[in-house]
Amino acid sequence: MDVAGVPVPARRPSSGFAVVVEQELRDLWIGGRGLALMLGFSVLISAIAYLTATNTALNFLEQRESVNLTLQVAVAVGALLALLAAADAVSGERERGTLESLLLTPVRRTEWLAGKLAAALSLWLVAFVVTVPYVWFLARGVGLVGNALATGFVVGTLIALFLASVGLVLSVLATSNRVSLSVALLLLLALFAPTQLPSSAQRGWAGDLLLRANPVTAGEHYVGKIVVSGHAWSEDVSWLVSPMVAGIAAAILVPLMCARFVRLGRGVGE
Amino acid sequence: MTAAIEAAGVAKQYGSLVAVEDLTLSVAQGEVLGVLGPNGAGKTTAIRVLTTILEPTRGSFAVAGVSHRLPAEIRQRIGVLPESAGYPSRQTGEEYLVYHARLFGQSRASARATARALLEDVGLADRGHSLIASYSRGMRQRLGIARALVNDPAVVFLDEPTLGLDPAGQRQVLAHVRRIAGERGATVLLSTHLLTEVEENCSRVIILNRGRVIADGTVAEVVRRAAAPRSGMLHVHPEHVERATAALRAARGVAEVSRANGQPGALQVVLGAVPGVAVDTSLNAAVRALLDADVGLVSFELEGARLSDAFLAMTEGS
Repeated sequence: MDVAGVPVPARRPSSGFAVVVEQELRDLWIGGRGLALMLGFSVLISAIAYLTATNTALNFLEQRESVNLTLQVAVAVGALLALLAAADAVSGERERGTLESLLLTPVRRTEWLAGKLAAALSLWLVAFVVTVPYVWFLARGVGLVGNALATGFVVGTLIALFLASVGLVLSVLATSNRVSLSVALLLLLALFAPTQLPSSAQRGWAGDLLLRANPVTAGEHYVGKIVVSGHAWSEDVSWLVSPMVAGIAAAILVPLMCARFVRLGRGVGE
Repeated sequence: MTAAIEAAGVAKQYGSLVAVEDLTLSVAQGEVLGVLGPNGAGKTTAIRVLTTILEPTRGSFAVAGVSHRLPAEIRQRIGVLPESAGYPSRQTGEEYLVYHARLFGQSRASARATARALLEDVGLADRGHSLIASYSRGMRQRLGIARALVNDPAVVFLDEPTLGLDPAGQRQVLAHVRRIAGERGATVLLSTHLLTEVEENCSRVIILNRGRVIADGTVAEVVRRAAAPRSGMLHVHPEHVERATAALRAARGVAEVSRANGQPGALQVVLGAVPGVAVDTSLNAAVRALLDADVGLVSFELEGARLSDAFLAMTEGS
């Protein structure tokens, strides 16, 4: 016997995405975690800006170098925060026992994941806003403020999109929140590792390929070219290909493709 | 009339582990169905399949008239209180309900009105603005019931709603279960370990064992079918005790007769342990034997744990 039932048209919320984003932002920023993270970020960026400003005053550091350093730290830490928030998005709900009631709502899982991703990205956006006055202070007088902020925003947003999407994948697939967060941190370290390689290792076709293929190193390199070397945006645009492809593709594909893998857990219930 | 829940041969396997083997049932609209079963019987998995959280390995079902092939549409029409549900501790009760009502497509204003009405219904109106972190377990369960009702569901699934609650909390939660069926006219599927909950609240019961429905019917029907032994307390005139004991021992279907300690004229009897003899027949035979022996019968009380006897008889060894 096959129980067919009666075909009934779906009645979903008109924008499940908007409802999820609103609640996630409320939980992140009014619940306190977002503000606490931003306080920590502000302290860090203040210390970096102070150190670079004093080194510049003592002529140990070029003014452009100090802007670049501050911007790169802001991008790296802002994207890290987005990654960690996304890595907690699904596995955290699973661990807190709140996932099942969310899966029981008629909101599409794609919309739900996209809402989680957008909320995680808000950490990067606020981190960037916090960084603006520091960059303005360090870059004033050399006509660099606009260019530095625009480059930092574009590259930072692409890297944050990429890392947050990766974090979301980990969160969907991980067996526990701890696994998800640990793997996310390890991945971030692996992506940033090439920036610490000696200059000799970064030269040659292999080093060049490694830096260009990695969206994080390629993005940071591009920021350096614009801010330190004073290149035009179009001059080194090839360095922007990897962060752009990775960021946009991941942000579109991850919610679409991961939706089917959102599960309560393996063998849950028995 | 369309059944509220209809399942045919539903099975769920995790690799080689069979959690639900053959779930076939039909639940009428407005019915309160109790689902009983020992640990690992497949109750939670069955509920997760019927609520579209898990996909069945085989078989088909419809909930509120909607085929299992349309899971989002089923979710629109059901309310679920999952087993050991968690709650976001940093949200208030009202925020939590508003969020879920909006996920079901309500406008902000409508969601707020729904949340307030439900908080009132479950007796949490004065705590609606408190953080859920400050709620007791009983309050959280009532909040979970309110959440299950935000979309005014046609079918409500409650998985162990009284687990871990004190007797007062259990009573409150069960009162809400009765109201869901009585006032809202919703069909309720109540999974529980507590047999008295089923006896007091359910119009029908199924017993699951090893992923299969092994009994289905009203409580009385299930008990009768189980042919489970039942015990009773009999009071006769103290001078008739010997005669009553002899008459009962000779009656068909009476398994055991013993004197109740410290109570003159009180006898403990166990009925229905004879294969092929129903408990009701044993009871009639026992009373007839006493009357035939001219015993002065003061009272005859069957003890209450009827469903528990049937449950144990049916699930023994699992």
